[in-house]
Amino acid sequence: MFKTTRRTMMGLMAGAASLAIGVGAARAQDGDIVIGGSLPMTGVFGFAGVAVEAGMQDYIKIVNDQGGIGGRNLRLAYEDTAYKVDQSVAVFNKLTSQDEIHLYYGDSTGFAKTIAPELARSGEMIMGGASFASELNDPEAYPYIFMAGPDYSEMFGILLEYIAQETPGARLVLVNSDTEFGRDPIESTRAKAAELGLEIVEEIITAPGSVDVSTEVLKLRRARPDYTLFHGYVLSPLPEFMSQAKQLGLETKFMGTFWSMDSSLWEGVGEAADGFMGVMPYRYYYDDAENAPMMETIREMRPDYQATGYMQGFLSAMLMAESARRVLDNGEELNGKTLKAAMNTIEDFDTGGIMGVPISVPGNSVPVGRVYQFDASAGRMVAVSDWISLDKE
Amino acid sequence: MSDWLFFIEVSLAGLGSGALLSLTALAFVLIYKATQVVNLAVGEILMLGGYLFFAFAAGMGLSPWVAIPLAVIGGGIVGGIVERGIIRPMLGEAAISVFMVTVGLGSVLVGLVELIWGTDPRSLPNFIATAPLFLGEAYVSRKIAVAFVVAGIVVTVFLVLFRFWRGGVALRATATDQAAAYSCGINVPGVFSLAWIIGCATAAGAGVLLGAISGISPTMGIFGLSALVVVIVGGLDSILGALVGGLALGLIQSWTGTYLGGEYTSVVTFSLLIVALMIRPYGLFGTHEIERL
Repeated sequence: MFKTTRRTMMGLMAGAASLAIGVGAARAQDGDIVIGGSLPMTGVFGFAGVAVEAGMQDYIKIVNDQGGIGGRNLRLAYEDTAYKVDQSVAVFNKLTSQDEIHLYYGDSTGFAKTIAPELARSGEMIMGGASFASELNDPEAYPYIFMAGPDYSEMFGILLEYIAQETPGARLVLVNSDTEFGRDPIESTRAKAAELGLEIVEEIITAPGSVDVSTEVLKLRRARPDYTLFHGYVLSPLPEFMSQAKQLGLETKFMGTFWSMDSSLWEGVGEAADGFMGVMPYRYYYDDAENAPMMETIREMRPDYQATGYMQGFLSAMLMAESARRVLDNGEELNGKTLKAAMNTIEDFDTGGIMGVPISVPGNSVPVGRVYQFDASAGRMVAVSDWISLDKE
Repeated sequence: MSDWLFFIEVSLAGLGSGALLSLTALAFVLIYKATQVVNLAVGEILMLGGYLFFAFAAGMGLSPWVAIPLAVIGGGIVGGIVERGIIRPMLGEAAISVFMVTVGLGSVLVGLVELIWGTDPRSLPNFIATAPLFLGEAYVSRKIAVAFVVAGIVVTVFLVLFRFWRGGVALRATATDQAAAYSCGINVPGVFSLAWIIGCATAAGAGVLLGAISGISPTMGIFGLSALVVVIVGGLDSILGALVGGLALGLIQSWTGTYLGGEYTSVVTFSLLIVALMIRPYGLFGTHEIERL
């Protein structure tokens, strides 16, 4: 049985004292609006997590330097998840028990789908994140989720719109990784291609972690497509794919989606990267367009190149902050319902040039993007289309 | 193009990628054969080899032909340090403890690489010509052909060394019976070190070849798991098993990916693993140990 001794009493008192100090510290920060984050700072998606965190922190700094939201500072509370769903959930549980959190950044589709019932149950917060999964772009099924860009199906929609315009009736090959991420837009792309009169002549699925792509390139040679569209990859095995296809004299153009569009990654690939195209919802760090003052601010804050994940984190924080601002301006309480409703009132919103056109968030996504092409000699992505907005209606 | 030519091209590609698996599997076998340790960090040593090459060739601007031996030597040095500093003090401990140490070592190496080089995937400077290679009418990726030739040479060299070189014979003797090897005057701890150095150097070399094909990233060590399948099927202590197992797995994966689709590759690979282990639990070419009481 428990026996009270002087030593246990001392221990209890010390514990109580430290608890009181802890509570005091937490109270001192009560005024902050906390953005929670399950961020993949290490692991297979580590490159994205590091960039996303930098982008979010910078936008938060900009808001706080201007007095915060309704006098309250924004603060990012995050921990590394190594891009593992169980760890993301553990971080979520930890952070939400430490702080009052109404805005959250999740690191994967798996995490978003896992935590969605909890979001719906608690109704406390909205969540954005690194996933652009088409399935999450359903306000009925996922009322508290949003994505700071087009979903993967919409990204393919933007690419197909561009292809249909450039090469009517083009022959396409889809190359997707055998992952949830990779398989995401296949069904919708088939339908969209048929609608636009484009022909999918081959669908190639690569096993996760596969290294050599010789057999896939042989399939490509038999299919002779005008365009080869990749999805579900970051970089590897795209360069090898392109290099071998060039060796075989294939004329096909290669395209990718957001997470494989970082220009510094392609710069490292060199000449083989020349001509790689893809859809990008945001401007690149070095884009000095006149109507993009926020890009100038970013370059002042960070003199070195920032990856695409940075822009995604930056815009995610911007959408979160804008929603919170609208809720507080209405004199409402911050919760999932009010924040999402406020986010859906965002219409023709100026992102300061992060996206090239004023944006709206009618549902869970921002279906806007632009097609870029990599110029190996300049080491940069060059816009080859205007901004394309998909009409969701 | 005839279906037969296509089949031959697919098979050649499979043999090429299988050769890379063989080379990596060799690292597992060399270390296990001498020390009875399944070194799960082989994949991460391979990754480190790729990064060392990147550091020497891209970072310091050395010629790739200087950077390759430096990366291989670097891998060997890491192997030597790990064996002397971590594995040898664990001698006599339960096999599972040593196994777990190698798991931890893998995580430490990934963490170190992420700290030093960051988490971005990177491409290696090109050191293999890109002109297409044709065997008759059949196309083969030049990088894959190079990997095949290198793996073939390395495995053959090791087979010969183990047969005729004194050090190789000492290694085999140590693998057979440590106490007897001691009593014959063989420097058993030295053999342990040698096995780790050569094993890790081989893995680092495989990392350079793999990196040349697919680029490098801190997570590329996952390739080691495919090679582990090879050694389990081929036999943990058989160099020939690593060669045959690697080539067979490469072929099977290539055929499966082409004719059934990439989504079936893992299903077929691991189903074969189960069947192979049910038929020969000690591997196709492994030593069937019989304990007599």
